[in-house]
Amino acid sequence: MRITRTLLALLLIAGLALVSTAQAAQFNWQQFKGTQLRVLLNKHPWQVGIEPHLKDFEALTGIKLISEVYPEDQFRAKTLVELTSGASSIDVFMSMPAQEGLKYMRAGWLQPVDEFLKDPSLTSPDYNWNDFLDKTREAMVVEGKLVGPPIQVENVALMYRKDVFQKYNVKVPTTLDELEAAAKALNGKPMTDDGQPGFGIVARGKRAAATSMFAGMLYAMGGSWLTPAREPAINSEEAIKAIDLWGRLLRLYGPPGSENNHWYEASSIFSQGKAAMYTDANSLFPVIEDPQKSKVVGKVGYALFPRGPRGQYGSTVAVWGLAMPKTSKNQKAAWLFMQWATNKDQVLKVQSERGVLGARESVWKDPKGKAKVPSDLGESLMLGSKVGTPFWNPPVVAVAEVRDAVGAAIVTSIQGGDVRAAANKAAADMKRIMAETEKK
Amino acid sequence: MANEIRVEPMPTWAPSGKPASAWSLFVEHHPVLVFTLPAAVVVFVLMVFPVFYTVYMSLHSWFASSLTAPEFIGLQNFKRAFTQDERFRNAIWLTLYFTALATALQVVLGVSLALLLNRPFRGKGFFRSIFLLPMVATPVAIALVWMMMYNPTLGVMNYLVGLVGLGPYTWVSDVRFVIPALAAVDTWEWTPLITLITLAGLATLPLEPYESALIDGATPAQMFWRITLPLLRPTIMVALLFRSIDCLKTFDIIYVMTAGGPGFASETLNVYTFQVGLFYFHIGYASSLLVILFALVLGVSLILIKVRRGAW
Repeated sequence: MRITRTLLALLLIAGLALVSTAQAAQFNWQQFKGTQLRVLLNKHPWQVGIEPHLKDFEALTGIKLISEVYPEDQFRAKTLVELTSGASSIDVFMSMPAQEGLKYMRAGWLQPVDEFLKDPSLTSPDYNWNDFLDKTREAMVVEGKLVGPPIQVENVALMYRKDVFQKYNVKVPTTLDELEAAAKALNGKPMTDDGQPGFGIVARGKRAAATSMFAGMLYAMGGSWLTPAREPAINSEEAIKAIDLWGRLLRLYGPPGSENNHWYEASSIFSQGKAAMYTDANSLFPVIEDPQKSKVVGKVGYALFPRGPRGQYGSTVAVWGLAMPKTSKNQKAAWLFMQWATNKDQVLKVQSERGVLGARESVWKDPKGKAKVPSDLGESLMLGSKVGTPFWNPPVVAVAEVRDAVGAAIVTSIQGGDVRAAANKAAADMKRIMAETEKK
Repeated sequence: MANEIRVEPMPTWAPSGKPASAWSLFVEHHPVLVFTLPAAVVVFVLMVFPVFYTVYMSLHSWFASSLTAPEFIGLQNFKRAFTQDERFRNAIWLTLYFTALATALQVVLGVSLALLLNRPFRGKGFFRSIFLLPMVATPVAIALVWMMMYNPTLGVMNYLVGLVGLGPYTWVSDVRFVIPALAAVDTWEWTPLITLITLAGLATLPLEPYESALIDGATPAQMFWRITLPLLRPTIMVALLFRSIDCLKTFDIIYVMTAGGPGFASETLNVYTFQVGLFYFHIGYASSLLVILFALVLGVSLILIKVRRGAW
């Protein structure tokens, strides 16, 4: 008896020692060997960047990946239809939580990953979750639950012509007041290659499309989409000031016809050298720095979106991330994939090879991580993604419908109409839409 | 001998001598039923069923992608459209405005072009082909090209109107100009259809009335207003009918060029319905809007058919 007991104790100790050394030395990537994962990807620079490395994941884990890629519209439709059917075989899909997160979460389609992240047997000790820029982590949380890791981040930023600001001796705006002053000072000044005059500022003005950039102005002014009690706040004094300023800038110092400008039209005007400033997503930098299409290559500075009257930051923190459906039968293996795709090595590879804007601070501090991105863009992105707001979209279920309602007020402001009345109407519409689509 | 053609007698049913099966007997006795069945099934599944399903859905409230089932609400959707929904009223008005403007322009231009092309001149065939080209192009591609032309900062339209001392305008970004500007694109594309139909009509006109008119000393203008136009009336009405139906449900060029903007200034009923159904996911309400659009198209068509028959 005694011998047996001693033997058992010895075995136990030996076993424990084995387990702990294994954990410390090497995380078990092979634990789901032989599993198949179906991964749905949106056609996107990140997808282009990660695809050549997917075979490394298969070699490391012994998990087989079946990836499908679709253009954005089809991608969204396909994901929605599969999830609605309740019988989806998707294990991992790309997702923007601010766009569809609340709808998917309330429908019960998303599997939160908090437990996986906490579990040392499922998360490698060198994953370092806190390395992700603060607000990019927050942006992946829906109703208090983490839906997955971020893969790409972008902010509404101020892009400006360094040469024009220098030539006319204007200070690069850091506040909204300075933004308006600069737009006024530079509007109509010669700034194209052949000395033609340009506009003070260009930005999106097209109904729903404008709202995701306008969100920066809204939060800088100290406003928000909703009150803490989830009542519409788009007609608060701060929000009205923001709608008014966005419209006034474009009406007085922007190109005519701004009401119909999406990012495509706005970035064309800016890259033709016809505007001194452009507020839009900093992820558009490849368009502006493309020598084939742009006349302002190398002349553009990338700054934080100007701060508001009380110093509030207006950077939006818009992330693409990975998520997994509740219906996935390989959730732990899916978490391994999410984790691998966003560990430091992969983020560094995709960012250094493709200039995809990653969400890890350590990668932004690595010289290789900065190589393909303008240096001031990297600096402003790091700061903006720590202090900005993840609410580039209204945090509601019916995002598209509410964006149209708010966008209508922005268009009214550009046209010089009654901003207060338009904001009140937008708030009333929001209240009705939320009542219709969020009834319990 | 070699060229002799032998006619095989038609094989009688079940040449093997076995008794014919019930199915083959059924086919033999009901050929009409059996041979039209596949087509009838396709029409039913792809056309009749969706129409009735849309009507059925229009009586429900259903926000798709929430896990709630459709809820029967009777005529509430229609009540809401007609009494509470400003965007709907705006859409109805814009649909009628766009249709009236576009068809009027197309009929006047199309008939004029047909009269020009009907005269004998060198290279007539060549010019006829050239004038028909816009109709062949893809509407989305046309919309994208016009979008660039209308661009207030980079486009060619402001340069062109500038040559005659007008502008600059913001075209599709201006609430006042957006519908006429879109109607111009539709006119550019579809005027040739009216020309084509009118040319066919002109080819069938009898010569006798013109001979007697010449003898009576009528002027060319009189001959046009008193003979050509009245004789062409049924043809023009057919062309008008085609174009009105098409204009009422125009979607591609409007969606690509303005997506209903600026604001909602070019949001026709079809564009609005698309937003409500496929972006907002209110399937029930979108269905009721489609039923209204269907009624509108049907109503306008019936009026035009009555006019054509000379009832009014």
